[in-house]
Amino acid sequence: MVGEEHVSMVPAAPSKIWAADVNGQPKEVLVNSNAILLDVLRDKVGCLGVKRGCDMGTCGCCTVMIDGEPRLSCLTMAQDAEGCDITTVEGLADGAHLAPIQKCFADHGGSQCGFCTPGFLVASQALLNENSNPSNQEIACAIEGNLCRCTGYQQIIESIQAAAAIHRGESELPAPASDAHPDPNPSGPDEPTMPPGHAR
Amino acid sequence: MRGDFLSGGYKQQPGSGGNSIRKDGKRVAGKQKFAPPGSGGSDPVMKPRDLDFIPEMVGGNEKQPAGAHIHDRARTGTIVGKPTTLVDANAKVTGQAWYGDDVRLPNEIIGRIVRSPHHYAKVVSIDTSKAEKLPGVLAIATGEDAPNSFGVLPVTKDEHAMAVEKVRHVGDLVACVAAIDEATAREAAALIDVEYEVLDSIHDMRKGLEDVDEPIHWRGKYHVGTTNVQKRVFQEFGDRSMIEDPNAMYHGKWKFMGVNHGFTEPHAVVAHWDSNGRLQLYTPQQVPHYAHRALATVLDVPMHQVNVIRTFVGGGFGGKSDPFPHEMCAAILARKAGRPVRITFDREEVFWVNRGRHPSHIEVQMYADEEARISGFDIDALIDGGGFASFGHVTSYYNGVLATAPYELGSFHYTGARVWTNKPASGAMRGHGAVNTRCAVEVGLDDMAEQLQVDPIDLRLANLLPPHSRTISGFRITSNGMRQALQKVREGSDWDNKFRKLPLGKGIGIGCGFFISGSGLPIHWDPNKFPHATVHLQIDMDGGVTVHTGAADIGQGSTTAVAQVVAEVLALPIEMIHVRSHESDTSPVDLGSYSSRVTFMNANAAIRAALEIKEKLLNAAWDTLGYHPDTLVLNDRRIYYKHDPAIGMSYLEALHKAQEDKGALISSGAYRSPPMGGVHKGAAAGLAPAYSFSAYVAEVEVDVETGMIKCTDVWAAHDCGKALNPLAVEGQIIGSCHMGLGQVLTEQMVYGRTGHLQNPNLLEYKIPSVHEMPNVTPIIIESCDPEGPFGAKEAGEGPLLPILPAVVNAVYDAIGIRINDLPLTPDKVWAAIAKKMKVDGIEDPSSLPVPRLDFSELQSKLAKRAANHEIRDKRRQTTEDTHAYVNGVLFGFDPNVPLEEQVDGWKSADKPEPEQLAELGLAGKAWLKDEQRHMGGEN
Ligand code: FES
Ligand code: FES
Repeated sequence: MVGEEHVSMVPAAPSKIWAADVNGQPKEVLVNSNAILLDVLRDKVGCLGVKRGCDMGTCGCCTVMIDGEPRLSCLTMAQDAEGCDITTVEGLADGAHLAPIQKCFADHGGSQCGFCTPGFLVASQALLNENSNPSNQEIACAIEGNLCRCTGYQQIIESIQAAAAIHRGESELPAPASDAHPDPNPSGPDEPTMPPGHAR
Repeated sequence: MRGDFLSGGYKQQPGSGGNSIRKDGKRVAGKQKFAPPGSGGSDPVMKPRDLDFIPEMVGGNEKQPAGAHIHDRARTGTIVGKPTTLVDANAKVTGQAWYGDDVRLPNEIIGRIVRSPHHYAKVVSIDTSKAEKLPGVLAIATGEDAPNSFGVLPVTKDEHAMAVEKVRHVGDLVACVAAIDEATAREAAALIDVEYEVLDSIHDMRKGLEDVDEPIHWRGKYHVGTTNVQKRVFQEFGDRSMIEDPNAMYHGKWKFMGVNHGFTEPHAVVAHWDSNGRLQLYTPQQVPHYAHRALATVLDVPMHQVNVIRTFVGGGFGGKSDPFPHEMCAAILARKAGRPVRITFDREEVFWVNRGRHPSHIEVQMYADEEARISGFDIDALIDGGGFASFGHVTSYYNGVLATAPYELGSFHYTGARVWTNKPASGAMRGHGAVNTRCAVEVGLDDMAEQLQVDPIDLRLANLLPPHSRTISGFRITSNGMRQALQKVREGSDWDNKFRKLPLGKGIGIGCGFFISGSGLPIHWDPNKFPHATVHLQIDMDGGVTVHTGAADIGQGSTTAVAQVVAEVLALPIEMIHVRSHESDTSPVDLGSYSSRVTFMNANAAIRAALEIKEKLLNAAWDTLGYHPDTLVLNDRRIYYKHDPAIGMSYLEALHKAQEDKGALISSGAYRSPPMGGVHKGAAAGLAPAYSFSAYVAEVEVDVETGMIKCTDVWAAHDCGKALNPLAVEGQIIGSCHMGLGQVLTEQMVYGRTGHLQNPNLLEYKIPSVHEMPNVTPIIIESCDPEGPFGAKEAGEGPLLPILPAVVNAVYDAIGIRINDLPLTPDKVWAAIAKKMKVDGIEDPSSLPVPRLDFSELQSKLAKRAANHEIRDKRRQTTEDTHAYVNGVLFGFDPNVPLEEQVDGWKSADKPEPEQLAELGLAGKAWLKDEQRHMGGEN
């Protein structure tokens, strides 16, 4: 054992069962009572889509929805979210069908390196749930806590506007840029007629 | 038959198709023996050829103002030039993209690093006994475990996994531990007792030029005196007598603070020695290959026993391109513990690793002659390298040589020095080495235009190097869209109605940029002509194309670019292209994502590989259809006879024919830069197979009461040769604006009085938020580079350069004050305003005078010269005019005779003459000392 003078920096906190609905699924995991929601989501629940950029509330990468409100999970005690409905980026899509906001981020350049993307998606989905006709200024206010070093935000705002238009029913979810399962075998309408003498 | 032959309309009939069996049974166009996997998509009809994306030289509608390109024939109108969603976008928007910290291996343990609390100290002893006894601790390592040094550049291998003898900055690595969980690992790290003997530390880079007792590193016989000079550079070209009697002259002393990349993903690494004793290392690296080399050296294992797996990279910008000590630490700990080790950084640790832009003192003197030609640049750059060399050797050159274009110069004089100080190391950051000097030079031009009473845009337009020319330092310029870029932003911003006409507090400014697109020589110089980029293609019976490449996608979209060019050449939907670029085991070597080289080099290699496959397919079609490949057309999964599209076969049929007796088709393509450049020392620095050009106009509002600056609009024109993916190019331009704007307005690494970094976090290190972002209008200029893939050049770094000077110049336009000390924080701006008010005796800031412009007679001369040059440039761009053009023609010299023979004073020097020593600038002082080998010292 360690010598007597050693005082542990991390006093062991009692473990307890933590329960919440994560992305519509009831989850029960064993956590320390002083656990941070971000750690619980990443390490215990397995939502690795929730990102840690700073651990101190400055980057927004860890944004999740708690009962519909966008929150920084790195600044939230797990116990404060106990029993809540938590939505992470993994919970935005409907099965294999991307939510409009996801599709629009992909197609309008809202995501470059993608590390900030989960946070932006959750924050903007929370906005769109409340307001499907936001002004650019309202969008800016909704994502002001999120940092993106790649895009310069402009294409993110465009993505959110495009998604808002879909939410309002003004435009359709864009068709895939090209076929998801393209036919590798296009052929002629009928038997190609070859001029005589051309077969080798 | 329906539809237009040439424009598609062919029904796709996968599987056996009744009437498509030929009587002779040999040629089976239309018939499949088996239903191809992946067939039966919802788009059963061949898409028409997209003529709008096929160059006019080969029968399409795409305009080619710059003339034909060698890759024109490879264009199929499939995807190049169209806004394309990143191929990995879905992984990113669903949270499935796996970054460094998302790699979770069974049985993993957590590593932590013990860091130095001192700026500079000898490590006397390390006592790990207490930590060892802590339950849950599984491995501890110190510098003794890894004595081999490494570094990204082979000439400056000055790093160790952990301190071997000394620590060189606060946060330098001393030891590391691995334990069952993070809390235990942190506690164990705190229990490691290190005894230090503190040394005198250096924090002011100017002190780095002085002799000291204990230089931070020792370079043996090449050490400069006993100073902390890591690298010194001297370059002089042209005729120095031209700068005598200037018509206008600018002298600026600039100060730039250090800047961090601020990527959102902190460094993270997972190391695992597999059951065969091979290292599997997962890391978000921009340059996996150099990490690979360094790991092998440090761990003392052959390279083939290491597999570097690049995870998704959450932003790089140069900050993830060095091999990092923590990568070695993870490997060492994993080897000791026999379990996978994961190390993830706190944000603070990201700042300790740094490798950001160098804090710099830059002095610029610029001269213009009576014709408003630029008769000389004198640049002196002292840059603060922090504790290690990193890419600094190159940075020391880039600070000067990347200012030798886009303008024609009468003479060029550069002294640069990089010194070690006891700070986290500086390194490569977006716009590597070029950014700060560019800012100073462009502001200088603005100032000279003011003295000459001409429009600064016209001053630039009348002094540009044309396409296909040579700079004063011998760089080979090929395509050059500088002129169009300037014209476009002038038009877009309504410059002529705004410049020097806006009221107090509102201003508009211009800035230009010039950057390399790939470096001409690889970092690891290699006599065997090893290619810079290699791409392998593999197509099996299912028709999907697997692309193996080592190119690191760091968010810029290089994976998409390589998929695009392969899809384009083979006329396949991009979904059929699968890029495998994560593992060094399966990817051919690529030198990595730095120097803006990936798209240029990697896509070139990919085109070569795809053309080889295309040839095989066409030959197979020739066999079956009987038409020579020259008469066959590839379009949307089908190959057909040019003059009768009914005669054709599907891609899959041709593929299967080509695979007879061979199986999967494979091909390999490689790229290596052509030989180029001069012979002087340092001639290779800044050499690139192509260069990008950009011009920005920025509009700002300055609050004269508070000194607060807001950038409201930016018109950003960038010449990227050819936008393979305009969506990504625009994203790069806007993103570059964001990053550059941070440096010019808010971002700085602040070192306090005691040398401590005071803001190693994103709260106090101010990256612009969405509210600080101006409206950016990206303008893509396509100059079609003759050697670029389909004409493309870089778009990731160059666009950062012009935003800094554009904003500084706009601030001058708004309040009539030039500030040479970045970032332009409100306190500095207000102090400058207050000073001016005091000097000029102004009571109220709202009555500050604003600069106005009265054109001199030079203005019309310049406009005329620019108009003539425009004609010259057009002819050169389309290669109607293929005469040689070298820097100096504007001054009346003959490009066909070496300039040294025409002008007495024309020279090219890489060392100062003894009589010059006295007049050298701040960084030039580094030349006052001798190297050890010339001092009679023994080492
Ligand atoms: S990790 Fe929560 S805000 Fe950065
Ligand atoms: S996409 Fe990279 S940080 Fe936003």
